[in-house]
Amino acid sequence: MLKSTYKPSAAALQPLLPGWTEHKAPTGHTYYYNAATKESTYKRPAAPFAPTAIAPQVNLSDPNIANAFLAQNAPQPSHQSSHRGGFGGERGGRGGFQPRPRPQPTDKPRSKVAIPGHEPWILVYTKLNRRFAYNPVKKASYWRIPEKLMPAILELDQARIRQKAIDETAPTVTTTGETTVPNRPGAAAPATTTEPHDYDSSEYEEVEVTDSEDDDPSRPKRQRTSDDPPSGPVEFTEADIAAQLAAMNADYNSYPSDSDQDEDDGPPPLSESDATALFHDLLTDLRINPYTPFATLLEQPTTADKLTSDLRYLVLATTRARKEAWETWSRARMQALKDERARQEKTDPRIGYLEFLQENATPKLYWPEFRRKYKKIDCMKDGGAAFGDKEREKLYREYIARVKTSVGERKGELKGLLAGQGARALNSATVVPEGVPAAVRADVRWVVLDRKTRDEFVEGYVRGLGPPPEDEGQGTREEEEAAEKAREERRKRERALEDRERAVAEEKRRQEKRLGFERARLREEERELEKAMVVDKKGLRGQLAGERMEE
Amino acid sequence: MPAVRPASKRKAPPEGFSDLEEDLLIFSNKMKDAQNAPNDNLPRHQAQWPIFQISHQRSRYIYELFYDKEAISRPLYEWLLKNGYADPMLIAKWKKQGYEKLCCLRCIQTKETNFNSTCICRVPKTVLKEDQDIQCVSCGCRGCFSSS
Repeated sequence: MLKSTYKPSAAALQPLLPGWTEHKAPTGHTYYYNAATKESTYKRPAAPFAPTAIAPQVNLSDPNIANAFLAQNAPQPSHQSSHRGGFGGERGGRGGFQPRPRPQPTDKPRSKVAIPGHEPWILVYTKLNRRFAYNPVKKASYWRIPEKLMPAILELDQARIRQKAIDETAPTVTTTGETTVPNRPGAAAPATTTEPHDYDSSEYEEVEVTDSEDDDPSRPKRQRTSDDPPSGPVEFTEADIAAQLAAMNADYNSYPSDSDQDEDDGPPPLSESDATALFHDLLTDLRINPYTPFATLLEQPTTADKLTSDLRYLVLATTRARKEAWETWSRARMQALKDERARQEKTDPRIGYLEFLQENATPKLYWPEFRRKYKKIDCMKDGGAAFGDKEREKLYREYIARVKTSVGERKGELKGLLAGQGARALNSATVVPEGVPAAVRADVRWVVLDRKTRDEFVEGYVRGLGPPPEDEGQGTREEEEAAEKAREERRKRERALEDRERAVAEEKRRQEKRLGFERARLREEERELEKAMVVDKKGLRGQLAGERMEE
Repeated sequence: MPAVRPASKRKAPPEGFSDLEEDLLIFSNKMKDAQNAPNDNLPRHQAQWPIFQISHQRSRYIYELFYDKEAISRPLYEWLLKNGYADPMLIAKWKKQGYEKLCCLRCIQTKETNFNSTCICRVPKTVLKEDQDIQCVSCGCRGCFSSS
């Protein structure tokens, strides 16, 4: 069976051994050919790991130095042996691009075995199928198994594999393959492929020749160092092992695993009032008619689409909550509309009508004639109960009567009208035609003078008045401040919503990633199982040999 | 036959009607659809249900606008009642204690039932058997008893 050998990082980093050439197969795979030995392989026959360049300077035989070296030079936590294909498959899929570090599962010791012949030493297997040697007397533990323990451990492994081969049938191979067999004793970084021949026991299937293992050669392998075994048996508990493991993990992850921290805090909470306010904003922004019942809003496709497609619709979790929010909003909105209308009502019809009179009314026309002439004009039509025909007639007659008087008289009347206004309505800051209060403009005396003379006259009158009273200015400033505050609050709410959305999206993405990863792992495991099920007549031994041949 | 009044001579509705016009139009369209919907393959007693329901919704809408939200003026409210947009008799019941959610007038008409009782939808849920799902015969109501 072909294993994926796609390792961009490896390819980039390792030079080929002399005599080898790189070629591309028609399928797109890269393969390597040695013209001298007529050998070809998919596996890059590279010079052994990059760390060899660094390693010689470090004396790795000292375990303390070795551990420190590991902590420094291992930026990647590697689940070295256990998920061989799983990680390999995933890395291949990522195409050699390394985003954030994957959240590292916490490891735990699972079982321990005393190493025969080296009494205080024990071999600890972890949940992730890693293992390390531990000396309870010296309280020292090493991922890299010390050299002098190696033969004993090898024997242990062989015995175990033999036992399993007897006990079970085919699937044993995969299980043994999954158990960790760390690096060989010897030099810190020899090419793993050549190694197994030192201990050529057929049962001792080499796991290191996997994608996950050697896909990142820059990462140093766990290194073993020799250490003097201190004598004297010491009580060794699970707690000890756990503590050791934790310490090692801490060493190991010298970088902060920020992804883990991110996972803990959920989306930033959005307070209830903020959520309601956001929903109100939504309703206002969509110009929803406050008179429309809520059920209709959700039934009508036009409004329902607009509402539900907005993010702010979802800040309230239930439709009941939304309905309550809508209720308060619609009440407030209807009240506001009512107030606004009442204000307009006070000003509108009379002012328009008087302006119309100023332009069109002449003493030559009697009221019935005037009315007949202009009956199509808007301001002559029905203006509701408050401003009917009788009112119009009265205003017309009054207007005609005043137009007939002299200009000076009319000015005097206008002055009387203006004098009746308070300082708040009319002051030196008033802009003349527009700023004049509605009460003045709805009076006949306002229109009886022609526009130009009137504006000039009023301008002069207004200049003679005092400045606007203080409290009014304060009132407007307060209003402005309130508006500014409302705007600020709204901005804050929207920012909170954005933050929340971002957090949710992030969480979703992370979950998808995890799902994909798990899937890939499952597929890999299935493949391995399948592979393990294929056993020919020669049995386990034959299969193991065949696998080695393939490689 | 009453005099036919052209639209131009018709008296305009009181102000504020334009706010509700659209929603009332939606209600009347719904009502027309319900009236014209085929009722061949549904039980005979269910044929009127949608009409009762829409009528209830529309009356409720106007009732709430006037009494609850105080969003429409009394002249407009009276005009709406006069023009048949809401059922004044039903609204009159809603003002009474114990009838705040009444579904239709037929459901409290005791004289029309065999044992001089009201409809099943008037029975409070606490009195009903556990998990008893009911739908009344006259208007398809699932329960219109008053609760706190």
